[in-house]
Amino acid sequence: MNKENKGQIRTIEAFFAVLIIFSSFAISANLTITQTITRHEDLASMGLQALVKLDSDGNLGKFIEDGNWTAIRDALNIILPAGVCFNLTIYNEQMQQINTEVISNGGFSSQQIAFTEYICASQGTVFCCYIIHLHLAVAT
Amino acid sequence: MKKCERKLKGNSSGQLLIIAALAIALLISSTTIYVYELSKETNSVHGSSINNFVLALKQTTKNTVLGSLANISNGGEKTALTNNLNRLSQVLRRSNHFGICHLAFAPLSDSNYDAGIWFSWNTSDMGISSAYATITLKVYGIAENVTLNYALNIITAIAINGYYTKLDGNEKLVNLTCNVYNEGKPALAKNMTLFYESFGSWVPIDSSNNLSIMDYGNSTYHISFIVTTSANNMQVSTHIHDLRDIFVQANTTCYEA
Repeated sequence: MNKENKGQIRTIEAFFAVLIIFSSFAISANLTITQTITRHEDLASMGLQALVKLDSDGNLGKFIEDGNWTAIRDALNIILPAGVCFNLTIYNEQMQQINTEVISNGGFSSQQIAFTEYICASQGTVFCCYIIHLHLAVAT
Repeated sequence: MKKCERKLKGNSSGQLLIIAALAIALLISSTTIYVYELSKETNSVHGSSINNFVLALKQTTKNTVLGSLANISNGGEKTALTNNLNRLSQVLRRSNHFGICHLAFAPLSDSNYDAGIWFSWNTSDMGISSAYATITLKVYGIAENVTLNYALNIITAIAINGYYTKLDGNEKLVNLTCNVYNEGKPALAKNMTLFYESFGSWVPIDSSNNLSIMDYGNSTYHISFIVTTSANNMQVSTHIHDLRDIFVQANTTCYEA
């Protein structure tokens, strides 16, 4: 009886061993997915921090008032890490788009796109408030 | 004996396989969890996005107060500070990306400040332009609520003092030292205009007075010019705009060195 079933038991045991190893891979893969979501939030946070940095001395508001879209694109290109794609849209208080040119450093090839919003108040003598929408993605 | 060992080896080889597989699985899982925990610690340093948003709003309110002071100090209405903060509050109410935002503010009113604005331009040797408001920022997010209370005090100040030395006749060489401060820290001036008092009226000083302004780059300016006046005590007025476009002026009396 033992001799007859020996082969089958070995197969079952090997199957169990494979199952154990693969289940560990499955758990690890789930953890990686959670981490990707966190990275996605980090990207939005990174974008917000870049806008805050650009606006710390009032430059962002000044560039918008001057319609200097190239300067905004160049500044974001410097502040954001290499490999991060962005697309910036600027609205006035009535939510009308005011940037006449596309402020972006390339197309989005990634499916993971982060979004952040920043309210910019100009430091100029004439008060203006702008709503800035920034989309970010990691270039693949 | 050998037969018995072989039998034992043969019977337990499958169990050994499972134990080995368990050990490998344990190694893979523990390594992944370790790497995950490490990266999680790094992520927590960045803080949650709602906190970053609130800090970003703090900067926006600061820029609003700053711009309002620039406006009022250049002749704008004193109500500009309240009006601008009201407009910002309305914009924030419409912004729902991180949750419901509510901005409450109170411009300071005391013996110096009126509707959050204080100009001290007539006191001798010192000029101050300042705006002060207390802000309460509340963000009701999906996951968490954040409340931030803070005071914004924007100050542009100048300190000026000097003396003159007599040249030929009524000609006098005036030497002034001027210091510019933003929030009590050394700052730079964008432009500077000088006047001296002659028979009750302020006369602008220009290149015809051999005006020389030396910028030391550390908030200190050395100014010298020549004027023709019979007055023994010379009244000099300095008008400046700082790099944030905030206007401030200060008067000083120069005596003979």
